[in-house]
Amino acid sequence: MDAILPVLLFVAIAAAVSVGLLVAANLIGPRRSGAVKEMPYESGMDPVHDTRRRFDVRFHLVAITFLVFDVELLFLYPWAVASRSAAGIDAAVQGGLVSSRGLVYGAAMAFIAMVVVGFAYDWRKGVFRWR
Amino acid sequence: MNAFLPSLPTIVALVKIGLLVGGLMTAAAYLVLVERWMAAWVQDRKGPNRVGIPLTKIRLFGLGQPLADGLKIILKEDFTPRHVDKVLYTAAPVVILAASLAIFAAIPFGSSLPAIPALGLTSEEPLLVAPGLDVGVLWVFALSSIAVYGVLLGGWASNNKYGFLGGLRSSAQLLAYEIPLGLGLLGVVLAAGSLKLDTIMDAQASTGVWFAFAQPLGFIVFLVASFAEAARLPFDLPEAEQELVGGYHTEYSGIKLLLFLVAEFLHMVTAAFLIVIMFLGGWHLWGVTGSGPVETWLVAFIRFAVLSAKIFAVILFFMLVRWSWPRFRFDQLMNLAWKVMLPLGIANLVTVATVEEFRPQLVTAVGEGWAKTVAIAIPWAVFFVGWIAAGMLTPSGTDNTPIRTPGPLDAEHVLDDPQRELVEV
Repeated sequence: MDAILPVLLFVAIAAAVSVGLLVAANLIGPRRSGAVKEMPYESGMDPVHDTRRRFDVRFHLVAITFLVFDVELLFLYPWAVASRSAAGIDAAVQGGLVSSRGLVYGAAMAFIAMVVVGFAYDWRKGVFRWR
Repeated sequence: MNAFLPSLPTIVALVKIGLLVGGLMTAAAYLVLVERWMAAWVQDRKGPNRVGIPLTKIRLFGLGQPLADGLKIILKEDFTPRHVDKVLYTAAPVVILAASLAIFAAIPFGSSLPAIPALGLTSEEPLLVAPGLDVGVLWVFALSSIAVYGVLLGGWASNNKYGFLGGLRSSAQLLAYEIPLGLGLLGVVLAAGSLKLDTIMDAQASTGVWFAFAQPLGFIVFLVASFAEAARLPFDLPEAEQELVGGYHTEYSGIKLLLFLVAEFLHMVTAAFLIVIMFLGGWHLWGVTGSGPVETWLVAFIRFAVLSAKIFAVILFFMLVRWSWPRFRFDQLMNLAWKVMLPLGIANLVTVATVEEFRPQLVTAVGEGWAKTVAIAIPWAVFFVGWIAAGMLTPSGTDNTPIRTPGPLDAEHVLDDPQRELVEV
């Protein structure tokens, strides 16, 4: 709790600053309205058709690919931290949890190799291809 | 002690948060001024140099400009158009600014202060809001992802075609560059063995080898990715003025626009902090700062000054790049993220992991000094090989025509597929 309390305080204060600025401007600023002012901005033209239309599926592909690679990256963080820290892999080897450092290293490399295979598959399928 | 009074650590944390939030908002305002001066200097004209003390003739080189701008924007109407989704429209700037401020909970802004027994601080006080947080890098990574929410919410809620397209583009860009960013971070985390940013600085100070020298490839990947994450030129497609007006904040005005712009500026400041802390040695400078614990106020001040000077230099570099580079096209941007930066990032990670794994064997084989040299030489060799490979495998930067020739891994049918040609971006 002692570790996380300053973080929570910071988040609260950051949100309070943002909301406070909004509220202040709302109280101080003038209020005028008009039909033209209410229109969506389209470089001065009258807006044509609705905004909520179909859009390119590749944005979806980017999101999915991001999710896959980002989660895979997150799996690598524990290994990266444990690699050289005092209570890390060396301690695990001495405590008999893992048979050797080489095994952990090999496993991590194999994991990265699998990520690379997935990456090459995506590339070949044209996921990263934008016109 | 009264039970309702906050405890000493809480007070200390509050003081630090106050200093940091105030400092960051002021810095953002004055960095805008610096950027405008820089723009004027590059374009050979006079920048903002008029606003000084009101009702006098004192101009102070235009130092009153940020205050005048801020005051004016607060006095303007906070307008919400009728066609927007009101809740999301209001939430977006709050989310993005709160997230970009809260990132600094895990980012150190100096080394530490010596003990102040008079105030009850008996040990060194680290210049970091949450020194107990041992997932600092993850916190930074997570909150920089929340920026995507702000952009997407703003773009979607605006119900405006420019805003919508800008939001989509922007989120695709931020997502794509999050991965090279993470790969760059991983190399440093691996070499330092910690997710705490202050420990990462200490690791560089104790060896004297900044990670930019030990992992050149990771540094370049991280630098490029953080330019893209901050949406600065040459990666400012989210608000490419000539194409999308204001991008995701087209429909925003007044204070809400200000929140977006401040958040954007803070992203750049964050990026500069991270580049300096993770790759350029943080507060460490050979022969000036030392590397041990902080015993005197002088050392604390020198370290703070060195860190600030480095961060300011990186920010100036950001601004110079803005006026030196043309904007990428969207397909070039995506190619760079997925086909260049991601492979280079993986190459860097594998190299660093291998070097760190076999360093003890290396030390026993050739001795401490040579091991250090080899451990730096191998990443540099990989850096040059990767650079040349990337240059040979990707089309020339001056070729601005749409690419029809398949890349090394592209399947032919992808190009010939008639369906693909019909897709409009």
